[in-house]
Order: sequence, then structure tokens, then C-alpha cells
Amino acid sequence: MLQSRLQVLGVAPQQLSCLHTSTSLETKKWERQNLKVYPPQQPDDLRRPAEIYHSRRQIKYSKDKMWYLAKLIRGMSIDQAIAQLEFNDKKGAKIMKEVLEEAQDMAVKNHNVEYKSNLYIAESNSSKGKYLKRIRFHGRGRFGVMDIVNCHYFVKLVEGPPPIIEEKTGFDQAKEYVQNLKNRTIIHSL
Amino acid sequence: MMNLAALVNSLRCSLLHIESRLLQTAGLERQLVPALAVSGPSILPQLDGEREPEEQQSPEQPPGLLDSILWMAAPKKRRTIEINRTRRRSDTKLIKVKNNVEPCLECGHLKQKHIMCGFCYAKVCKETSKIRQQIKAMEGCELGAPPVETVVLYEGEAPSELDKDKRIVERPRKRPAWFSY
Repeated sequence: MLQSRLQVLGVAPQQLSCLHTSTSLETKKWERQNLKVYPPQQPDDLRRPAEIYHSRRQIKYSKDKMWYLAKLIRGMSIDQAIAQLEFNDKKGAKIMKEVLEEAQDMAVKNHNVEYKSNLYIAESNSSKGKYLKRIRFHGRGRFGVMDIVNCHYFVKLVEGPPPIIEEKTGFDQAKEYVQNLKNRTIIHSL
Repeated sequence: MMNLAALVNSLRCSLLHIESRLLQTAGLERQLVPALAVSGPSILPQLDGEREPEEQQSPEQPPGLLDSILWMAAPKKRRTIEINRTRRRSDTKLIKVKNNVEPCLECGHLKQKHIMCGFCYAKVCKETSKIRQQIKAMEGCELGAPPVETVVLYEGEAPSELDKDKRIVERPRKRPAWFSY
């Protein structure tokens, strides 16, 4: 949306710094990860999967509430994640779906991803944005400080099918622990 | 620290009790308990003056408020972030994955199994609003609906025998695939 507005005005993004309220997006850590360039791979090496970092800043939502949605889509394929977010009733779900779709477009256009469905969500986080402080009046002449909350949302898409995580039962973990104890040896013994 | 405060409190109570007993024996403290209660309008005007000191004393020593202050539940210690996190991130509080999402057969958008597809519903809504606009134009005034049934006909359709007595609403377009006869 912002890029289209800049194209209409016909001005380079660096000259329109007034559109951003604080430091421009290029200096932020998460976005800079997209500019990382690896040296060319040897022909024998395994193909390095493409990584796409995307974020949205200063979303008018709580970071704690956003975390639940971020936790929901961790490790899912992008299609499954978009499906889950579409039928979730939370406010953050709509915003998160837009971010995922933007990231998918970026992946296909800029990051040399062949199939837009062949992506999975490797990382998905929410963090605190800028808070505005206001007075909240309580009874008996008392007052409290009300925070008007904003949050950031970060997502990292990686090319390939989503990794299958083997679920370990408690019994298996206990067995592994006992086996580790049994494998201990005394060093420098006879 | 708590024992000292309790001790001071008990001393204060006992001192007040001794004071009231001394005043009673001296005869200075007025007993406000009536010896004889008579029903009817208050004849003696002197009784009104005696009622005011009684009302003044009650807000100073309200019996209910002191008891409730001592009884109020309050947290003993600050809940650590680890305890808070285990409560907020417990399995019941996490959002569950929905397994009833499937693609709509008509349009291909995603839909829930027991709910109509959102895209198909929107397209039906659009056509319905156009029909309603046409009906409004036909009726003219607000409550001008005739006491007959209505039938919607599209381009190239003639009213059948069943549609003889009905009001016909013509739409100048091809019949949509989802609108059956």
C-alpha cells in the first residue's frame, strides 16, 4: 500500500522520510535480515532454502493477545496458517493474514521462490510497540496510568515443506534419561 | 511488628473501656438507652437535641467498616513472571487449531464445513440488494407492497402459468447460475 503511494508521487523512498514517524524501516534489524547475501554455493552443496523476513510495526493491538495468534501459526505451512487466521475472530488475525500475504508476494517477486505454497512459518513473534500513557480515573479521587498499547509482529518464512516435529511422550523422555545415566562411564579407569 | 500493633490496639481498647466506666460512675456520660418506649408522635421537643450527638458518633466508629478492613483478602506476594507465564500459556488458554476448514466447491475460497462460503454469500447479497432496489422503485412509497406474491424474472424468461397472479420483477441480466427456478 505504501509502495504504491510512493510510485504515484514518483519520489524515491529515502526522500519521503516524513511519512514514517520514527526511524525508517531499512535500519530496523528484522528488515535488514532480508538484505543478507550469501556467497554462491558449490555445485555439491544442498540447496539453501530461501528465507523471507517480514514485519508490521505499531499495530493497534496488545502484544499479549497477538502472541496467542503468533503461537498458533508457528511451524505451519503458509496455506494452513492463512486458513486458520481467516476463521479466527480476533482483531489481530485479520492484520496477521495481511502480513502473511504481503510476505508471500515478496517471496515470489524478490526472493526467487518458485511456488508460493512451498513456504512454511519458521518464526513468528509479537513484541511491544510504542505505548502512550493516559490518566484513568478511579473512585475516591484516585487515578491510575492507562497504557494505549501498540505491538509489532514479525514473521520469517522459509521455502520448503513444514518440518515434522516428532512428539515425544513423557515415557520416552524418562527412558532417554535413564539411558543417559546408564551410558556414563568412569574416565581413566582400568 | 504485627504483635506490637495488636498489643497497642488491645491497650487502646482497654483504655477506652476504663474511661467509659469512670464516666458512668461519675454520672457525666448520658445513657442513651430509653427506660420506657412509647409508640406515637414525639411530644417532647428536647429529644431532638439528644439525637444529634448520637448520629455524630456513628461515622467515627462504624462497626461494619472496621471488621471488613481486617477481613479483606489481599495478595501476599507478587506473582513472578514465570508463574504468570505458565498460567497465561497453559494449554486451555492457547487457541485451538480448527480442522473444519475446506475449499468451497462453487468458488474455491475457503469455508467452514457448517457455514456458507463468505464469497458466495457476498455475491448473493449483491444480487438481492439490486432486486430490492428495483422493487423499491416499482413500489414508489415506503409501505407500497401489493398483497400478492413476487417473482423475479431475468432476460429471455416469460412468466409461466404458476406466475399468473404474481407481481413480476424484471432484472435486465442473465439468470445467475445459483438462482434456480
